[in-house]
Amino acid sequence: MSEQARLSRSAVRPANRASGLTRRWRRARPGLVALGIALPAILVYLYFSWGPIVSSLIMSWQNPVPGGTAEWVGWDNFVYVLTDPGLPQAALNTVYYTVLAVLFGFPVPLALAVFISELKKRAWYFSGLAYLPVVVPPVVAILLWKFFYEPSDDGVFNSILGLVGIGPLPWLNSTAMAMPSIVLETTWAGAGSAVIIYIAALTSVPSELYEAAELDGAGIWKRVWHVTLPQMRGIIGTMLLLQVIGTMQIFTEPFLFTGGGPQNATKTLLMSVYDYAFIRVDYGAATALSVLLAVVLAFFSVAYLLLTRRWSRS
Amino acid sequence: MTKRIRSAAALLALGGIAAATLVGCSSDNSSGSTDGKVTIQIGDRPSADRPEDQKYFDERVAAFEEANPNIDLDPVETGYDATTFQALAAGGSLPDVMSVPLTEPQGLIKRGQAADITEALKSEGIYDSLNPTVRKLTEDSSGNVYAIPTNAYSFGLVYNRDLFTKAGLDPDNPPKTWDEVREAAKAIKAATGAAGFSVLSTNNTGGWQFTGITYSYGGTVENEDGSKATFDDTPSKDALKTIQEMRWQDGTLPENALYDVQSQAQDFAAGKIGMVIGASDYYYTAVQNLKLPAESFGIGGMPQNDGTNGTLSGGTVQIVNPNATDAEKDAAVKWVDFFYLERYLDQDTAVSDAKASNEAGSVTGLPGLPVVNSDEYDQYFDWIKDYINVPTSNFTPYREASTDIPVIPEPVNNAQEVYGALDTVVQTVLTDQNADVSGLLSQAQTDVQSRLGR
Repeated sequence: MSEQARLSRSAVRPANRASGLTRRWRRARPGLVALGIALPAILVYLYFSWGPIVSSLIMSWQNPVPGGTAEWVGWDNFVYVLTDPGLPQAALNTVYYTVLAVLFGFPVPLALAVFISELKKRAWYFSGLAYLPVVVPPVVAILLWKFFYEPSDDGVFNSILGLVGIGPLPWLNSTAMAMPSIVLETTWAGAGSAVIIYIAALTSVPSELYEAAELDGAGIWKRVWHVTLPQMRGIIGTMLLLQVIGTMQIFTEPFLFTGGGPQNATKTLLMSVYDYAFIRVDYGAATALSVLLAVVLAFFSVAYLLLTRRWSRS
Repeated sequence: MTKRIRSAAALLALGGIAAATLVGCSSDNSSGSTDGKVTIQIGDRPSADRPEDQKYFDERVAAFEEANPNIDLDPVETGYDATTFQALAAGGSLPDVMSVPLTEPQGLIKRGQAADITEALKSEGIYDSLNPTVRKLTEDSSGNVYAIPTNAYSFGLVYNRDLFTKAGLDPDNPPKTWDEVREAAKAIKAATGAAGFSVLSTNNTGGWQFTGITYSYGGTVENEDGSKATFDDTPSKDALKTIQEMRWQDGTLPENALYDVQSQAQDFAAGKIGMVIGASDYYYTAVQNLKLPAESFGIGGMPQNDGTNGTLSGGTVQIVNPNATDAEKDAAVKWVDFFYLERYLDQDTAVSDAKASNEAGSVTGLPGLPVVNSDEYDQYFDWIKDYINVPTSNFTPYREASTDIPVIPEPVNNAQEVYGALDTVVQTVLTDQNADVSGLLSQAQTDVQSRLGR
């Protein structure tokens, strides 16, 4: 390398470095500004979203005295909730609700969405109708349905069924029917949101696929089975996971419909958590049970992630 | 650009709100004394949907401040609610004085959530005039007092006088025994089609009422120190069997087996139920809130089985914030005395108080269980007789019974745990015709026993 070249290089290099620095600085500055702007939100998020999670985790190993100092009790709270004679039933009820809600609550909105998107005219009108129950506040809806479910033969549903010679049914007053009755209401109340999401997902299915299928002579069922469902596998999987996580945390409906009765037939895990915390003022037990529930749900999420990764690879 | 500014502003605003919230959380709302003046926050101000009661409350606050120039009151609507109370206590946001149910003081004492007000009570001269049996429920093991009982109830039989008349029963002479209750229920059902009788069954109220019925059968649900569950015995079984037979043999209970206080009161006020278990304050729920005609409201003593066994009692007490200073405690006790108790001891107060309450349109002169000695209580009703706006003669059977039937407090240990287990028992006999009464009770007792130690 000649002296000339070396000089020119050394002359060039600092200049290069300087311009590189400013470029990096320029690139970084908006990032810092953005961070500065986002900082309050991040702090709020950490404090209000993760703060309670972390403190409830800690609390599950403590015997917290509201407003006082907490003593560490090790695994006591976990042992206590796991040996609660009511736990097996609450866990079974929760699983039963989840299974029913997935069996009935899951296909209904999907079918509705496919049906609505097949309608060429007035689809907006029907999707509006499907969404309407979501607008009704849950408490109002539950009180209304409780009135419908009146077990005597002059109750609203029983009067209607009486016209065709069925009933009167005990609805919420029988251990066998209480949970399915609740599932019926939650399906009605929750289907609307899922329908909207499915309709949105359906619009992203390429229309050429349908045209090709139609050219091949596929009817509506074949089109749904061979085009719609495979194309929507991702969104269906996500909705299924959300459904499981959501339904495992069912509280409002059994709480307001039946208070967990009759004979604990609708008592769910979250209602047990509520009882521990607010009826017995036993926050240690309440947080321990919540942590256990969270662990189970986290397991579902992880299983889902692994499954979807395998699907996307295959 | 504008969009970015807007979102930045929104974020800053959010941060601001969060900061304000954090500051709000940590600030103490009971201000101390400055230049000899004390300000205390008092709870239980009636909300705006009860304008008469609110007006009366505000008048009493003004009168108190006038009589005690060195005390300022800051009334808030915070009242007792099981779901929010602990959060308020943990956040230090309890009013300086507020009412809680009589079942709570022992737990509050154990958790250090109520102030020791023995000295304040003695210096105000109220300590001795409190009904000693009720006062006992607010003391710790060494006799220090942590709450002031201001209202007490005992279970009785609330009934619809109108349905009684229609069924050919004497509304002035309600059933006194469980056998009579069953007969009356059958008569009501036959004549009017309404359910004759109903018990609560959800949100632990089923266990609460069943405990009351067990007492009236001569049973208990816990031993005296609360270490043992004791409801697997003959009185409880007989009590449960009565409910089961009324539901399935007599057919006099409603088909709805899942009642909480509100839904049952709605059906009672609508004339769909003839008799329920309740105390005299059921009058507020049925008549004032749900518009049952006042003349249809009747209440008798708690029905008994074989002699006079007992009736479950409870009530309301006032507690003082544990962080209150001595001056604040004194002020709080003064207010409680002024608003709740003085009327029983001083004729002028009794009369002016009743007059104000009556003129505000608030329920005046509702008979209950005395929190003061019973002579003082009778005298009080005599003082205010011109202002009573409640049909007191409808309460006569209840008041007469309350002198004969012993009052028994609620279970001392983990009452809610016991009530929860008994809720299930009651629901079972209401929904299952063939439920095995003894098996149910012994299973529930085993379950409860294993939880009582905690």
